[in-house]
Parts: sequence; structure tokens; C-alpha cells
Amino acid sequence: MSDKRNAKDTVLEIKNLKVNFHTYRGEVKALNGVDLKLCCKEVLALVGESGCGKSVTVQTLIGLLPENASVLEGEIILDGDNLINKTKEEMRILRTHDLAIVFQDPMTFLNPVLTIGTQLEEVVTMDKDLLVEAIAIEKPKQKLDFTDLIKMDDSATEPKNLKISRRETKRIAKRLCAAILSLVKLPDQERILKQYPFELSGGMRQRAMIAMALARRPSIFIADEITTALDVTIQAQILHLLKELRDKIDASTLMITHDLSVAAETADRIAVMYGGNVVEVASSVVLFRRPFHPYAQMLLKAIPNIENPTSRLEAIPGTVPEMIDPPPGCRFHPRCKYAMDACTKKRPRLKEVEKGHEVACYLY
Amino acid sequence: MRSHVISTKNAVKTIDPLVVKNLKVWFPIKSGVIQKTIGHVKAVDGVSFSVKKNETLGVVGESGSGKTTLARAILRLVKPTAGEVRFDGINIPKANRQQMKTLRQKVQIIFQDPYASLDPRQTVSSLLREAMHIHGVVKSKSEATEKSLKLLRKVGLDEEHLYRFPHEFSGGQRQRIAVARALVANAEFLILDEPTSFLDVSVQASVLNLLKDLQKDLNLTYMFITHNLAVVHHMSNRVAVMYLGKIVELADKNTIYRNPKHPYTFQLMAAIPVPNPEAKKKEILLEGDVPSPINIPLGCRFHPRCKYAKEKCRKVEPNLVEKDGHFVACHSEIDFSAEMRTGESADG
Amino acid sequence: MQKDSEVRRGEWEARLADIKYMIHLFRKNPLVMTGTIISLFFIIVALLANFIVDPRLATTEGYTGGSYPFERKYMWSANHPIVWGPDIALHDGPEFFYLGTDGWGRDLLSMIILALPVDLYNAFIIVVVAALLGTTLGALAGYAGGIFDEAVLRITDVFFAFPGLVLALVFASMFGRSIETLQFAIILVWWPPYVRLMRGQVLSEKEKPYVEALKALGAGHLRVLFRHVMLNAIYPILVQATMDLGGVILTFSALMFLGFSPSKSLPELGNLAADGYNAIFSAPWVILFSGLTMLIISLAFNLVGDGLRDVLDPRLRR
Ligand SMILES: Nc1ncnc2c1ncn2[C@@H]1O[C@H](COP(=O)(O)OP(=O)(O)O)[C@@H](O)[C@H]1O
Ligand SMILES: Nc1ncnc2c1ncn2[C@@H]1O[C@H](COP(=O)(O)OP(=O)(O)O)[C@@H](O)[C@H]1O
Ligand code: SF4
Ligand SMILES: [Mg+2]
Ligand SMILES: [Mg+2]
Repeated sequence: MSDKRNAKDTVLEIKNLKVNFHTYRGEVKALNGVDLKLCCKEVLALVGESGCGKSVTVQTLIGLLPENASVLEGEIILDGDNLINKTKEEMRILRTHDLAIVFQDPMTFLNPVLTIGTQLEEVVTMDKDLLVEAIAIEKPKQKLDFTDLIKMDDSATEPKNLKISRRETKRIAKRLCAAILSLVKLPDQERILKQYPFELSGGMRQRAMIAMALARRPSIFIADEITTALDVTIQAQILHLLKELRDKIDASTLMITHDLSVAAETADRIAVMYGGNVVEVASSVVLFRRPFHPYAQMLLKAIPNIENPTSRLEAIPGTVPEMIDPPPGCRFHPRCKYAMDACTKKRPRLKEVEKGHEVACYLY
Repeated sequence: MRSHVISTKNAVKTIDPLVVKNLKVWFPIKSGVIQKTIGHVKAVDGVSFSVKKNETLGVVGESGSGKTTLARAILRLVKPTAGEVRFDGINIPKANRQQMKTLRQKVQIIFQDPYASLDPRQTVSSLLREAMHIHGVVKSKSEATEKSLKLLRKVGLDEEHLYRFPHEFSGGQRQRIAVARALVANAEFLILDEPTSFLDVSVQASVLNLLKDLQKDLNLTYMFITHNLAVVHHMSNRVAVMYLGKIVELADKNTIYRNPKHPYTFQLMAAIPVPNPEAKKKEILLEGDVPSPINIPLGCRFHPRCKYAKEKCRKVEPNLVEKDGHFVACHSEIDFSAEMRTGESADG
Repeated sequence: MQKDSEVRRGEWEARLADIKYMIHLFRKNPLVMTGTIISLFFIIVALLANFIVDPRLATTEGYTGGSYPFERKYMWSANHPIVWGPDIALHDGPEFFYLGTDGWGRDLLSMIILALPVDLYNAFIIVVVAALLGTTLGALAGYAGGIFDEAVLRITDVFFAFPGLVLALVFASMFGRSIETLQFAIILVWWPPYVRLMRGQVLSEKEKPYVEALKALGAGHLRVLFRHVMLNAIYPILVQATMDLGGVILTFSALMFLGFSPSKSLPELGNLAADGYNAIFSAPWVILFSGLTMLIISLAFNLVGDGLRDVLDPRLRR
């Protein structure tokens, strides 16, 4: 698949996604028509303040919405299939092969009573192709390189003998685990494989989670606020790792963050969310040079900038909209200084204003 | 150690409202049935600095470097193991009841987590009233209500917020409420312990603006603790960098950002993500994790992560030495100013 | 400027909205609602017992002034020994007993109704005293820590280890069989769990940032403990106390059943059951109905406690 894909090909498309939550206080209209395209092998950052619907978008995408949620409208197209219509079981299979996700708090996804090695082995042995390919390329006395295997995914399609003995499986899985850990720059792999999650520091745990996600050789890698709980120096290490990995892995990355600086450091393109909508999409350079949407403009002015200090920050007046009773039309209009009549009536849809620069705003 | 204590003494005289000298806070680690002390968490391990009237002293450091413990020790919320904290000349750890009463009015703190630092079962009105009651600043209930309203307006809230519970507010609003409560009596000195780290950027901007305005209006002095270097740059006059319970560098804001002298400060600066995709960032990575404050490395506590570590660094702990108001604790005298500039000059 | 009355109203409205939300959560669970309705029903019946039933019916002598009607022992109706069901209407009247009669020939239904206030009142007293004692000690121990905490914990452990039955026996032989002795004995067994519960609560609550914030403000220990920490920690205690009401009713009547009763004829569920036990083959309904009543009450209180736990769970608060 990968060799046929063009860099500009869309791998994933979310169209007009609307999601509600039923709560005591009323319907929470969390997603109000999200439009998003993820291109092949790019890093797309989904940026927005907390509560704007980033995580709900991800939850819908991977089919893990909570019980009280309902998808009202919209499609999520991956490889020509609409994920909304898939069953739970189909989504589970998809999550083990195509969609790999890492969350902010790795402890919710790591099993505290199993060693890292056991958990990683479980992932690795699920993928029989991987084991076969690993045996094919392994050379004695030499470390396995996981990047070779990533490139091999799907491209080597000739049917192989899928019968591997238990002992062989065990042996190759061990080597694979070590190879994956070294891919995410975890030192001393043998020891780490024997450790329990709580014995690792926050940064190492996050690396282990990334390793587990990449071990599936996913076509889409989702990172939901993975550096938020880490310190700056550790965050820098993880961001550095992601940058290194992006050429080695074969996945398109959807990076969720509330931090514009993190997005600026890692992403090719940035999608800005506000109140359950994607309001602007552009390449990161363009977005920072010339944001179009009033919200994006104000957001950039609200962050203190060391290189370019001001004595006062420009705060955005008003507050984030109440999702139960959101403002009609453009959800930003009560806080927008350019708001016109049209803004209060109908929701502006994303429109390509320049090449590759889309905005949802009536000013353009 | 001696040299800088003397130097602070000389520079400080008596005018500085807050003077901290060689402050240590060690938490004992107990183990076994008889609860024997088997070691110490040296959360704050010999910190000296002073805060000038009406300035903002920024304190930065990674989590676990002892920033919060330092704040708690200053307020006597935790007992210092050694050292002095003088506010207006009064040694806080040894202050008597009466002195503490005035100190509690003058020195206030805003905590990091706005979702946990307000009693969840108290309305705004009752929590403000309680604070006034503790300080004995109002006589009647109606006076309290009037004063509460005035305070709420001052921090950008109003009447309709008076009878609500904390859970009905957003994080930014809760921090405003906390600020209002801190200003109930005649606060002079505010310790702000990461007041915006739980907030979104747009909300952070308005809270920071509020804090700046209040400082100007009420002649407040701030100690601003944070791990966000951009925020501390925006807020402070001087910045102290903490590492594993010690201040490793303290200087004027511009000096520290343009001309850092300590390798840790330099690498910390390099680690901050910049909101500019075109910045040509130097890839200087600080390797490894922060060591535990239980087993602090011998010699310079930064040496296991330091690229410039020499033989001496492994053996002798460097003192915090002052040169023109720039305090550095490092054996190697390295000039990072050139490298800082290459990082900065990138633009579109 | 606002007047004092307005201040109070605003404050009240805020608290009312909070309570409304709790009630909403409470009502969502049908099982809990059933429990609540049943317990409320029993409580109301208990409160009105003396109006519904003539308490003099309980006396074994002097019933309607005459001699004790032994001929009505263990029966359903004066004329038909066992007629119950569709024929009830035929036999309605002063001579028909819906739940039969007990060993003294008293109407069992009336006796159960008269027993409700006795059992509920005693359970209530026992739980309140045990909870107050345990909670206060636990709160102080948890908040103060150190040697005091250690001492309280050890004492609690001693009482934990004490078997309640033995304690009651000892007390009964020392002070004679009286309701008060029984209450005392049960309280001694029921307070230790509250110490543990409250201590744990306070230990976690006192580490919360808002407590530190209050201390930084200059609030004294008493204010912090009683006005803030305890109020925030009290909810699991309420849950436990509600559940314990059921448990204590069972314990109390069990002890009465086992013979700690000061008087065999006192209308009390355990007493009635004991009476029924003597005639378990000839008149199984006596032990059946008195036992069922105990079971239903304690189950109902347990359900209410369960519901309260959900409602007061801080994770459910927005
Ligand atoms: N399980 C839920 N029940 C009710 N509302 C929810 C739930 N999960 C999320 N929401 C609401 O959906 C909105 C978007 O949330 P989320 O996607 O988590 O934001 P973020 O962008 O910070 O990840 C918020 O307003 C939130 O209150
Ligand atoms: N009450 C305490 N008992 C034991 N160790 C503590 C206590 N409070 C803080 N520490 C330890 O002291 C160190 C510094 O903590 P803290 O002051 O909270 O750092 P910061 O605020 O810079 O993140 C940490 O390693 C922390 O685990
Ligand atoms: S659509 Fe209107 S209200 Fe919304 S951002 Fe654009 S100008 Fe402002
Ligand atoms: Mg989220
Ligand atoms: Mg802290």
C-alpha cells in the first residue's frame, strides 16, 4: 500500500462529524461538524483549548466513545470504509492493526501487574506476518532493526509459511521487543523488558507506550497530549524522538495538543479547533505567519513569546462556549471583534482560501 | 557557601521584604516497624535569595526541583530543617502567634491547582466571608458582602458569581476567586505557585494580565513559581533557576535569557518549544531524568547530566557566587551568549 | 448594597440547587428508590404506631380489663383455625387476625407495628452514638496523627477483637437485662469501624490543597478540622450509618431473640421471633412474619445507603 501512496493522498477523512453527549444538564453538543483530512505520511497537529473536542474526535475515530455519546451525523473514511458503520469487533481489529494510539497518561493503558516485556510481546506475537518477516531478515549475532520491518509491512505480499513453532515465536518475539525499544531510544532494553510500568519514569513510560503503538506497524499513529504531563526537558526528548521517528515509520501521525508551541515544533500541518469545529487548517509555517481565523489570530497573541516580548498579553475576551447551549452560527461570534450578522445565523464551513489554507469564517 | 551569604547580606541591607538564608527542608524517610529514619528527601537543600520590594522574582525548575516546598517553607506550612526566612525582618520559622497573625495577612499564596485549592462545599460568598472573619477585617455580614463584591469586581468577576460553588466555575475563574481571597486583608507579598499551569493559553493570558494589573494597583511583590519559561519571562524582573533543591543561577531576566552562565539554565532554555515553526532550533537535548532528591549526586548536583562536567565537578559542590547581581553555581565558566543568539536570530 | 436576608437567600438557593441535583441522581436508580420508599414507609408506620394500634394490646395482663385470652394462642381466626386467602373478607372483623396471633394470643400484625418504633428507635440511638463517638475520635486521630493517633488505633483494635455476644453477656450479667445494657453493649461493638473510616477519610482530606490554602490564610486547626475537613469527609460516614441502621436492627433483635430481652412479652421483632421459634411447627407464621420484617427493613436501609454512596460520590459531581 505504502509505495502506491502519494504524499498528498488523503489516508483519513473526517466529514461533518457531529457528536452529542446525553447528560443530566442536557445534550452536550461536543462536536459540531468536524472536517479533517489526514494526508499520507504527514504529521497533522490538532490544536485547541481544553474542552474544544479534540479527545472526542479521537474517541470517535477509534470507536471508543463512552456510552452516553451518540454520533448524529458525519463520516470517517479510512481506506474507503466508513468507520462510523463498523461494529465494535471490527473497530477492535482495526485498533490492533491500523490505528495505534498513545494517551497522556500511559498508566491507564499499561497493565500495572505485567512487565513491559510481557505486554510488548503480546502485541508482537499477535502479528504473525511480523514474526515471519523478522525471521526472514534476522542475521545471527546482529541486532534486529525494526525500521526494516516497518518498511516491509504489506509490501512483501507473497504468501509465507505461517507456521512457526512456539519456541521460535518466543525467541523472535524477545528480539523484536528489544529492537522496538531501541527504536524509541530506550537504553538497556533487556532490563526494561523485565520491569513493571511503575518502575519507569514518566518519560520512559511514554516511550514504552510509543513503542507498543509502533509495534503494530499502524497506518495511523495518534498521539493525544502525550507530552502534557511531562517536564520541559523530558518533553523535548520525546518531541525529538517523534521527529526522528517520522522518517523511519510508515504512518501518518495525528498529534493532539493544546500547546501551540509543541504543534509548531512537530507538525507539518496544523488544524485549529474551537468549540467543536475545526476553524482553520494550514501548513504550520503559514498558520504562524499569517493566521486567518480571528480565533487563531488572537490565540497566537495570547501566548507569551520570549523572542518577541510584550508588556501585556492580548487575552481573548469572554469565555469558552457552554457546549450545552452553544451560541448559534459561528460558535466564536460572541468573542469575535469582526462578528457580522451572518455570523450569528449559520455556521461557516471550512473553505479553501489559499492553496492548502482552509478557514471557517465569513470574513474570507 | 560562606561567600554568597555574606554577599547577599551586603547587597540586601534591610529594605528587601523577603530574605531567605540557607533554607533547608528535608523530609525524613521512615521505614520499618519502629519507623526508623533511613534517609532524607532533600526537597530544598540550602537556598538563599531575597526579593525586592515591588518586583517579581521568577522561580523556574523542573517538577520535583523543590519549588513548591520552598513556597511552603516560606509560609511556614512546612517546618524548615535549617535556615532563615525573614519577612520585614521577622524570622518566620520562629515568629510568635501575634507576629504570625500579621504575617498571614501580608504574605499570601495562590496554589497551582484551582480545582482543589477551594473547599468544594463552600460558596464563593462563604469562603470570602470566612477569610475576612479569620483576619478580623469586617464586622458585619453586610459589610462582608459589600467587600466581597468589591473584591470580585477587582478580579474580574461580579455579583452573579457570589453564590456559586467552585465546581460551577472554570479554572481561570477559580484562580480569580483564589486571588480575591488572597487580597481580603492587606496582602503585600504574593507567592504564585504555578498559578496558570492548569489553565488554557487564552485564559492564562487574562490571569497573567490581572496579576500584572493588581501588582501595579496594590504595590504587590510577587514570587512567581513556574516551569514555563515563557511565562516567567513575561512576568518577572529577576529569575532564579532551581535544580534538585538548590538555586543554580539567579539573575536579571534579560541576563538570564540572553547570557545564561549555568549549563542547566542553558539547556533548559533550549528545551522550551518555541511558537515558531521556522525557528532554527539548536538540538541540545538534556539527557536523562532528574535524579531523585534522596540520593543527590556528590559534587555539583547537575554533573551526571552536564556535558561540561570536569573532575572537580564530581567532587566539590560549587557555591552560588555573585558577579554584578548575577548569581551562578558552576565550576566551569562557560559563555553561552553566542549560542543563545544563534538560536534567536532565526526568523522568516 | 445587599441586605442580610438577601445574602442568606442567595446562599440557600445555591445549596438547594446542589441538593436538587443529588435528588436527581438518587432517583435514577429504581432499586434505590424502592429501598427508600420501603424505609420511609417503615419509619412513618413506626412514628404513627401508637395511633394505628392501641398500645394496650401488647400487655399480656389486663387485656381489655379481663383475663388473658389464652384460647386465642397461635391462631388466625376465632372460628376457623386456618382460613386465609379469598375467605378473608368473610372473617374480617375484630376476631380475624391478618397475620395470626402470637403465643399470647395477641394480633401479630399489631405487635409488629408496635415493634417497629422499638427496633428503629434503638437502632437509631445506637448508630448515632456509635457514629458520633467513632467519627469524632477518628477525625481527631487522623488530623492530629502521632502518638494520639497510635493510641486511638490500638484501643480501637482491642474493641474490634471483642466478640459482641460475649460483651453483651458480660454486661447482662453485670447490670441485669435491660434495653440500656443492650444498647451499651452494641454501641461498644459498633463504633470502631467509624473510627477507621473517618480516620482514613480525614487522612486523605487533610492532604488536599484546599486545607493547605486555609492554613496559609491563617485558619486555626479547629476551624480547619470541624468546618472543612470533617464536612467534606462526612459523606461516607452517612452512607455507612444508613447501612448500619439495617445491620444494627438485625443485631439488636438477634440479641433479643437469644434471650437478652428484659421481658418476653415486649413487642420487639426479636422477641416475637423467639416466641414464634417455640411454636415453629404449629404456628410457623409468627417467626416467618417477624423475621421477614427484619429482613425487609435491613435490606431497605442497605439499598438507601447504596444509593447515597452513588449520590455523594465526588467523582459524580461535575
Ligand atoms: N463523557 C462525557 N460526557 C459528557 N460530556 C463530555 C464527555 N466527554 C467529553 N465531553 C464534553 O465534550 C467536550 C469536548 O471534550 P474533549 O474532547 O475531551 O476536549 P479536549 O479538546 O480538551 O480533549 C467538552 O465540552 C466536554 O465537556
Ligand atoms: N511532604 C513531603 N514528604 C516527602 N517528600 C516530599 C514532600 N513534599 C515534597 N516532597 C518531595 O520533595 C521534592 C520537591 O517537591 P516539590 O517542592 O513539590 O517540587 P516542585 O514544586 O518543584 O515540583 C519532590 O521529590 C517531592 O517528592
Ligand atoms: S465567522 Fe464571524 S464570528 Fe466567526 S470568527 Fe469569523 S468573523 Fe468572527
Ligand atoms: Mg483531551
Ligand atoms: Mg510544584
